[in-house]
Amino acid sequence: MSTRVTTGMVQRNILADLNAVNGRLTRAQMQAASGKQITRPSDDPFNTSRALALRQDLEATRQYMRNVDDADSWLKATDTALTQITDSVQLARDLVLQGASDSSDPAAREAIAQQVEQLIKSVKESANANYRGSYLFSGAKSDTAPYDVDGADAYLGDGGTIARQIGPGTSIEVNVRADDALGGPTGVLSTLRGIVTHLRAGDGTALRTGDLDALDAGIDKLLGIQAAGGARANRLEAATGRLAELEESTISQLSTTEDADIAKTLIELNSQSAAYQAALRAGASLLQVSLMDFLR
Amino acid sequence: MSAAISSFYGLQTSLKGLLAQQRALDTTAHNIANASTAGYSRQEAVLAASEALQISAGAVQQGAGAHLGSGVDVQAYRRIRDTFLDVQYRGQATKLGEWAARSQGLDRAELALAEPGENGINTQLAEFWSAWSNLAKAPNDPAAQQALLEQGATLASAFNTVADQMDTVAAQARAEYDDLVRPAGPGDPGGEITRIATEIAELNDTIKRFVTAGDTPNDLLDRRDLLVDQLASLGQVSVTQLSTGSLQIAFGGNTTTPLVDDTSVNWSTAPTPGSWSPGGRLGGLQDMFMPGKVLDSLRSDLDAVAGALAGAVNGVLTAAGSPPFFSGTTASTLSVDPAARANPERLASPPGSAASDDTLARQIAAMRDGAVDKAYRAFVARTGSEVREATRQEANAGALTDAVESRRQSVSGVSLDEEMTNLVRFQRAYQASSRAMNTIDEMLDVLINRTGRVGL
Repeated sequence: MSTRVTTGMVQRNILADLNAVNGRLTRAQMQAASGKQITRPSDDPFNTSRALALRQDLEATRQYMRNVDDADSWLKATDTALTQITDSVQLARDLVLQGASDSSDPAAREAIAQQVEQLIKSVKESANANYRGSYLFSGAKSDTAPYDVDGADAYLGDGGTIARQIGPGTSIEVNVRADDALGGPTGVLSTLRGIVTHLRAGDGTALRTGDLDALDAGIDKLLGIQAAGGARANRLEAATGRLAELEESTISQLSTTEDADIAKTLIELNSQSAAYQAALRAGASLLQVSLMDFLR
Repeated sequence: MSAAISSFYGLQTSLKGLLAQQRALDTTAHNIANASTAGYSRQEAVLAASEALQISAGAVQQGAGAHLGSGVDVQAYRRIRDTFLDVQYRGQATKLGEWAARSQGLDRAELALAEPGENGINTQLAEFWSAWSNLAKAPNDPAAQQALLEQGATLASAFNTVADQMDTVAAQARAEYDDLVRPAGPGDPGGEITRIATEIAELNDTIKRFVTAGDTPNDLLDRRDLLVDQLASLGQVSVTQLSTGSLQIAFGGNTTTPLVDDTSVNWSTAPTPGSWSPGGRLGGLQDMFMPGKVLDSLRSDLDAVAGALAGAVNGVLTAAGSPPFFSGTTASTLSVDPAARANPERLASPPGSAASDDTLARQIAAMRDGAVDKAYRAFVARTGSEVREATRQEANAGALTDAVESRRQSVSGVSLDEEMTNLVRFQRAYQASSRAMNTIDEMLDVLINRTGRVGL
C-alpha cells in the first residue's frame, strides 16, 4: 500500500518529532542543571520513596551525633565535679591523719574540725555543679540542687536517671546521683560529719580506725564511679565513629539514588541537543521544498 | 432514431470541455485555499463524458446507430473522506481527553508535594522528630519547648498546604466540569457541550435541506465532522447517520436520549457528576473531584498520614496525662493544640514528674522512621505512580490519535504538490479545449466565408 503524503501530514510529523526531541532535551537539561535524576516522585516512584527514607535516616544519624556530643559534655562536666569532690575528700583524709594523733591539743583539733566542715561545704558545692542549667547530681529533679550547702546533709534530688538516645533503640545513662556517690549512713558526707564529731570529742581511736577506713572506702567508691564514667565516654567515642561512618554511607547511598550521573547526563544532553538540531534542520529543508519551486 | 448533426456540434463539445476544466480548476483553487483549514476534506470535480448523441450510422450494426461523444460534464464535487477513520479518531480522542485531564490534575497535585526536597513534608517530619529529641535533652528548657512547638506548627502547615493544593486541583476540575456541561438558560448560551450540540443541530437542518434537494454541501459536512471531533474529546460519542443526511449523536454513553437528534438538542439538564461515565475530558475531570476517585483517594491517604501522626503523638501525651500536641486529625485541619502551647513544660514529661523527666519526649522521638514516615513515603510513591501512569497513558493515547489523524490526513488532506500538478493538468486541458474550438472555428470560416465563391 502506498500512502498518500499530504502537506499537512508532513508539517504535523515534523512538529510531533520536534516536540518529542525537545521533551527529551528539556529533561536532560533539567537533570544536568539540578544534578538530580529524580526531581519529582513520578520520575521514579520507588526510588523517591527510598530517597525519602534515606533523608530521614540521615537526619536521625545527625540527631544521634548531636545527642552523643551532648552526652559527652555532660559526662565531662560530671567527671570534673567528681575530681573536685575526690580532691576535697583526699584533703580531709590528710587532716584526719593530723588530728588523729593523740598529741594534738583540743584547740588544734577544733581548728582541724572547722577545716573539715569547710571541706564538707566544698564537697556539697562541687556536687551542686550544673551543666546548661541542669544540676548534674540531682537525678531527674535537675532543677533542684542536690544539697543545701549551709544546711543539713539530706539529699534533695531523686533516684531518676537521665539518658541520651545515641542510636535506634540505644540509649546511654549520663547522670550520677549525689546520693549514690556521697549519701547514706556509710557515705562520705556522714563519715566526714562523724570525723568532725570525733575531732571535737578527741576520740583518736575512732578517727584512726573506723573513720579512716570509711574515708578510704568513700574515695574508692568515687574513683569507681569516675572509672564507670570513663567507660561510658569510651562507649560514646565508639558511637561517634560508628555514626560518622553511617552518615557517610547514607549520604553516598542518597547520592546514588537521587543524583544524576554527571558524565552520563552530559553525554545524554549533548546527544539530545544534536538530535534536536538535526530534527530542526531536516524539518526546515522538508518544509521549504515544494513543486512550486520547480514549475515555471 | 436518427438526426442530422449540427455543424456547430463540435463548438458545443469544446465549450463543455472548457467549462468542465474551469470547474476543475476552481475546485483545485478551493483546495489550495483551504490547505490549512482545520477539518477540511479535499474535494474533487468528478468528470464524466456527457450523454452521447445517438446517430444513425448507415450500415453499422444492423442499423442500430452509433453514439457520438458530446463532451464532458462535471457530475459531482466529491468530498474525499473515510468515515471509518473518523470513528477511530473519535475513539482515540475520547481516551486522550480523559488521560490529559487526569495527568494535568495529578501533575499539579504532585508539584504541591515538593518531594524529594528540603521543603516537603518528609524533611519537616525529620526535623519534627529531631525537635522532640532536642527536648529530651533539655526537658525544662523553654527554648527547646518553643522550638518544638514552632516545628510542630511548621509541620502542620506543610500538611495544610499540600491538602489545600490538592483541594484546589479538585475544585478547579469541578469548576471546569460545571462550565463544560452547563445547559443553556435565559440569557446564557450554555457551556461548550451546549454550544457544539446546538451548532450540530443547526447544521443538520441546513444539510438536510441541501441533501433533500439532491445537493452535497461538502464544506458544511466538514464543519459538522469537526464539531463531532471536538465533542468526542469531551466525552464518548456514538454517531448514527440518518437517511436525510442528518446525524443522531449519543453522548457520554447515554443512548436512550441522544444529545443531538436530527435538529433538536436534548441537554436541558446536565447529568449529576458520578451518575454517568462520560469518558473524555469530562470523565477525566470527574476523576479529579468525585469522592472515591483517584485524587480523592490520594487525599484520603494524606489525611490518614496526618491522622496517624496526630494519633501517635497525642496518644503518648494523653496516656500520661499531658495535654495533646496536635488538634485535628486530617491534613487540612492539623494544627498545634492550644493546650500544648499553654503547657509547654508538659510536653517532655507527665504532670507531677521531676524537671528532667524526658520519658514522653524520648518516647515520641523514638517514633522517627516509624509508621507515620512509612505511610507518608507510601503516599508519595503512590502519587508518583499515579502521575507516571497518567502521563504514560496520555502519551499512548496521543500517539494513537496522531497515527489515526495522519491516516485521515493521508486520505483527506490537501497535498500542495498534487494540487500544483492538477493546476497544470487542468490548465493544459483548458488550453487544448480552446484549441479544439479554434480548429472548428477555422473549419466553419472555410464553410461560411469561402464556400460558393467559385469564380469570384
